[in-house]
Amino acid sequence: MTQTIFLVTRPKYDYTTRYISTWAEKMVEWSREKGHFVLDLEGKRACKKEFESIIESKRPSLIFLNGHGNDSVVTGQDGEILVEAGKNNRMLGGAIVYALSCRSVKVLGAISVQQGTRAYIGYEEDFIFMYTSEVRTRPVEDKIAALFLEPSNQVVLSLLKGHNARDSQTNAKKAFMRTIQKLLNSQTSKEDTTTVRYLLWDMKNLGYRGDAEAAI
Amino acid sequence: MPNEEEKEIIELVIARLQTLPEGREISIGSAGDFTKEELIQHVQSQDEIGRKMVAVEMDFLRSLKEGVFYDANDILGDET
Repeated sequence: MTQTIFLVTRPKYDYTTRYISTWAEKMVEWSREKGHFVLDLEGKRACKKEFESIIESKRPSLIFLNGHGNDSVVTGQDGEILVEAGKNNRMLGGAIVYALSCRSVKVLGAISVQQGTRAYIGYEEDFIFMYTSEVRTRPVEDKIAALFLEPSNQVVLSLLKGHNARDSQTNAKKAFMRTIQKLLNSQTSKEDTTTVRYLLWDMKNLGYRGDAEAAI
Repeated sequence: MPNEEEKEIIELVIARLQTLPEGREISIGSAGDFTKEELIQHVQSQDEIGRKMVAVEMDFLRSLKEGVFYDANDILGDET
């Protein structure tokens, strides 16, 4: 297996970023076990200066961005913009990107693939998830949040296993749908069934731009 | 001022949000995290968050009507 240079940004400064970054850590651990070279920008290291510096020096082939965003940007720690369409998106050139960040595939993803990014997988709308207030300081224990973040991780898992961008997106959508189907069976509590509307939203809004066949 | 149809949709969405369990919050990206009571207030205010919640609920109901969950095998298909 070819070693992949895999960059992950994991800001942690509010509940949302703590949740997504804690779950992204599973991909950091998995990929290290498989022998990939992982650059993990956690917490304060998820800043623009380190992000740009590491991309320039290491040229990662796979980038997993976690953080708040909008159509044109993905942010890091404390909401600092890491990458913005039309400003520094060229640094994503040559990489496959997965952004667990609201709406960024729409403009940032589209422009990035026009300017050298091989493929950009992300969300067309806000990524919405439910979590349990009682365990919000221990995200890894949150079985409700897991319903959302495990399917999301399937994008990265599939890419690391060598699947192309299109199939990795599809595998994640399948993971969302399997979760939905399990929740819709009669043995699920009504409370847990309420997650389905948001799972469906995230599944439908997962998309990609660029080369469908792009693989690491 | 919402028309009659919009008022009905708002009432429907609020009724559906009432089914959200206690002790859970919804993360909506950089907009923040919300309890069901807060989401209901946003829907009543018809602000950006409220409109987003309406969009999510209506998308779900349309999907039910379109049989998305019965056509799941089209999505699940063969493992890749």
